[in-house]
Amino acid sequence: MFILILFIIMVLASVVSFGFMDRRREYALIATAIFLVATIVYSILRFSTGYGSGGFRSESVYNLAPSIGIAFSIGVSGFADALLILSGIVIFIAAFIAGKHEFTQTMYSYIMITEVGLYGILISRDFLFFYIFWEVVLIPVYFMVAQYGGRNKDHVSLKFFVYTHIGSVFLLLAIFTVYAYHYDATGVFTFEIGALMQSKYIEMIPTALRYFAVFGFLFAFLVKMPSFPLHSWLPDTYETSPYPGTVILAGGLSLMGGYGLFGILMPIYSSLGTSVLQLLVALGIISLLYFSFTALIQKNLKRMMAFASAGAMGFVTLSFGAGLLEGTKYTASLELAGGMFQIVAHGLIMAMIFTALYFIKMSTGKETTYGLGGIYREVPMLSTFLLAGLLASLGLPGLAGFIGEFSILVGSFAAIGWLILLVILGMIVTASYHIWAAQRSLYGPYNENLGKIADLTPSRFAILIGTFAAIFILGIVPNLIYGILVSYVGGII
Amino acid sequence: MYWPGWFIFLSPLIGAPIALAVGKRYKSLAGIIASLAVGGALVASIITFFFVDAGTVVSNSSKLYVVTGQYAYNHYLWFFNIDIGIFIDRLSIMMALMVSFVSLMIHLFALYYMKNDPNKHVYFAETSLFTAGMLGLVVASNLVVFFLFWELVGLCSYLLIGFWFFKPNATAAAKKAFIVTRVGDLLFLVGMAILYDSLVGFPGLGSNSPLSIPFLINNASLIASYIGKNTLGIVAVLFLAGAAGKSAQFPLHVWIPDAMEGPTTVSALIHAATMVTAGVYLVARVFNIFYAAAPFALYSVAILGAFTAVFAGIIGIFVNDIKRILAYSTISQIGYMFAAIGLGGLFGYAAVPLGMFHLVVHAVFKALLFMAAGAILIALMDLRDTRDMGGLWRKMPMTVTLLFIGSLALIAFPGTAGYFSKDSIISASWLYYAHYGTAWSFIPWIFLATGSLLTTLYTFRMFFRVSLGKPRSHLAEHAKDPSVWALIPLFILAAGALLLGLIQTPFYNFITPEAFVPSVPIYIEAIPITLLAIGLIVTYVLYGTDRWRHMDFSKNRLYRLAKNKFYLDTLFTNIIAERVITPVSGGIATFENAYNNAVDRTGSGTLSLGSFFRKLQDGVVENYFVVLIIGISIVFIIMLLAGLM
Repeated sequence: MFILILFIIMVLASVVSFGFMDRRREYALIATAIFLVATIVYSILRFSTGYGSGGFRSESVYNLAPSIGIAFSIGVSGFADALLILSGIVIFIAAFIAGKHEFTQTMYSYIMITEVGLYGILISRDFLFFYIFWEVVLIPVYFMVAQYGGRNKDHVSLKFFVYTHIGSVFLLLAIFTVYAYHYDATGVFTFEIGALMQSKYIEMIPTALRYFAVFGFLFAFLVKMPSFPLHSWLPDTYETSPYPGTVILAGGLSLMGGYGLFGILMPIYSSLGTSVLQLLVALGIISLLYFSFTALIQKNLKRMMAFASAGAMGFVTLSFGAGLLEGTKYTASLELAGGMFQIVAHGLIMAMIFTALYFIKMSTGKETTYGLGGIYREVPMLSTFLLAGLLASLGLPGLAGFIGEFSILVGSFAAIGWLILLVILGMIVTASYHIWAAQRSLYGPYNENLGKIADLTPSRFAILIGTFAAIFILGIVPNLIYGILVSYVGGII
Repeated sequence: MYWPGWFIFLSPLIGAPIALAVGKRYKSLAGIIASLAVGGALVASIITFFFVDAGTVVSNSSKLYVVTGQYAYNHYLWFFNIDIGIFIDRLSIMMALMVSFVSLMIHLFALYYMKNDPNKHVYFAETSLFTAGMLGLVVASNLVVFFLFWELVGLCSYLLIGFWFFKPNATAAAKKAFIVTRVGDLLFLVGMAILYDSLVGFPGLGSNSPLSIPFLINNASLIASYIGKNTLGIVAVLFLAGAAGKSAQFPLHVWIPDAMEGPTTVSALIHAATMVTAGVYLVARVFNIFYAAAPFALYSVAILGAFTAVFAGIIGIFVNDIKRILAYSTISQIGYMFAAIGLGGLFGYAAVPLGMFHLVVHAVFKALLFMAAGAILIALMDLRDTRDMGGLWRKMPMTVTLLFIGSLALIAFPGTAGYFSKDSIISASWLYYAHYGTAWSFIPWIFLATGSLLTTLYTFRMFFRVSLGKPRSHLAEHAKDPSVWALIPLFILAAGALLLGLIQTPFYNFITPEAFVPSVPIYIEAIPITLLAIGLIVTYVLYGTDRWRHMDFSKNRLYRLAKNKFYLDTLFTNIIAERVITPVSGGIATFENAYNNAVDRTGSGTLSLGSFFRKLQDGVVENYFVVLIIGISIVFIIMLLAGLM
């Protein structure tokens, strides 16, 4: 009930936000902060104790059109809860760093609508609403890019919209396929995710259509992840989008893909077929290698980090494929929980990196490695935060990224054996370009062309230290969410 | 819970942020806070030492290490089934004592050395954090936690090498250090992954965490029979790869000479005394895994160490930079430690004290050497080329005498601590050969004995050039000793370098009751000493006088090979990084661009198709009707052809 009320308030608040003409930033900040705190309180109340068997919490159903099976049905799993907190944090950061002088009032409404979409996706237990919110997220992000984007924004925003929308279309077709065959089998119309996504019904679908449905889901989710070869929208969009938008893209939109895999597809793991899982493993490894190598020679830090983000999501795809290949083996839950943990860690880390890059961009006007250089001398605190973000992103132990990567690495060996060396190669390249970027832009002789630049203001310091604290705490006390993720896996496998 | 054990690493861990925060306002307090924090760690280590020492140890004949006596083992669930906690036994407390003591000495000297640096609060916070990481690694109860601290010290090393961030050399060296050690670290991680996965279903696992160190130690032979000696051997070799990265062993040693761009106290602390010995400690810590695995595991440890000892020694002879000479000597000496532990294939756990004693002694005299070099460098405005020094014994008598003591210990001059620790290793390697009698078992001894000649050559080549003759630069002419107060830590370390040999037997027996001081026939014993004497004579003749200035080897092929560090740096940087990785990355990025353009063109193709069809929508009803008729006709024709009508 709590989460439903929270969600309704959120919807109302985002609508009301259009009314606050001058004070919309303050309004958005207060609202997103309240939502974040409320989500955390909710999580503590509902998930800190006794989440043993892993099912759903706060379930409620409101039948809207029973004759064709449409209902507004909600429920929160442990995994969705972790992602709710993540999206709360990411949205708050985006609202916080969107400065009054850089953006007009509409920006804050876009941010709030994105939050509604993300929460809606995560709590929906009904495919139709899931799909609606899946689309709701696209629109404000599209406007953010189209309205406030940088170079080439018309082209890029259109590309982003069309590309991800194609993914959504396949998602819709897949949903209808599953829906229709479920009716065939049971004579009941329903869009309820829990009812539709059951292996016994999926396996009744004729093979060709079953693969079409699975393909539709995977296509939509892998576009969002993004995974090779469905990533073409990513580098352009990340680069062109204004920084708050990039934070949302990296932290918020990529979790949609991960949630799709682990939240929607995982219950039907046994009917996915070994070949599909092997394909996912391959895509995960290829993504990691491909994006790392591409990132290695990028000169624009924002674009480089876009590839880094995609590379890190390669771990998630890998963990999904490899973990389910292991089936009921003991390491499978380590692997899968690691993959889900990685989604959370990746969102926080990327939010931090792009925030730091944004502040650098605002101080210096530069975001390329050759345009910066030696800025540690002038802005030691800001540089340290960027370095901390980069280190977290390359998987330094003690920070959140390590827990996920460690679990995935350890778990994967059981499924893929010595292919793990390819993952290691990807990690080495990842470490190389992160460190290279830090060395090239932060250290060395100061680029005197930049003139005098100012270090962090207290409020910027606060947002960075807050994000870093979250990353650090999750790295030291991973069990805050690792436990519920393991229970969630245990409830399914 | 044995709480003093936790303070071993918590004290500097808490001290680091305080030093940073307070030091930001009151610069001079930072060093004092950091030193106090490290001193706290030393006190906690001493208290824990008495706790551990109080237990009685039972001897055993298995050649494996059996956790016995009194030890601290507190652990809590971290995530999944990985524990976090401390495990302090005799090995770890010895290491903790060494680390906290040497770190304290270096912190005290750094009060003087870093006196005028504007960022010294950052420096002291980072060295304090480093000490915490190193001590945390020493007392960690689980390999994953071990790895956490292992990376923390790597991070601090990265930050401190690049401490003078405005020097391009320093930041490049920091980057190189990070990436090279990262290669080893990730192989170590693969080793852990294999071990973890193999242990799933192991009947003895019970409620233990599969990567818990005491669990691995206690069950090594059962584990070996469960997962197979060869698999365990592969795990051990991967661990060794991690150790080689951190401890700068061939071929991952290339980062450490460059790391000398950092402040000299950092070189003393991290790249000589403590962090680089973490790899040795790792092998000693999980010695049972190495011993229980197939014999190639420990043999590769021995060969790697012995080979590196010679390899680095040869390069060291041709280097002119005083700090780099010391860096190569560090690589070489760590090779001795690895070789010593590798001999455990024959001696079992009794080989570990051989390596560990050399580790401790080496930390003391190498810290002394580096700090003496640091004092010289301050006087010479960071002029590091030994060719431009000379005559310093007269200009800076105290400092150079300290350097002399350190050098004597380094070459294992009879009577110094280095003699006791190193000569025992060489003797043990002879016993190793005497037992097996094969050519393969001869390799460690011949390498290690040759190493003692090389050590003398590079050490006293450096020392004579620094101290004797006439000053060869303006700076050298005006060099002066620092004040006695600044040198007090060095005097303490010098006393250690001379006298630590006295505790050899107690040290061995503290680590394990099976330890022994190897004794070999006198004519074997004499070989390293003879080589040492030859080395001293040669270096005195060449470098004690001005003769070396007339020597020209530049045509000699061997000289060029060694001068270019056997082209390993070239291989890594110019071939692998620039000729392989960069082009591959360029190729993939080109593909990415082409792919991206193709996607864009598909999009714009659709758009132009749309604008073509838009022309048909011209609002003239007649045209629509024509199109309609044509369309319907086509549909009919198709249906006719398909036989549907």
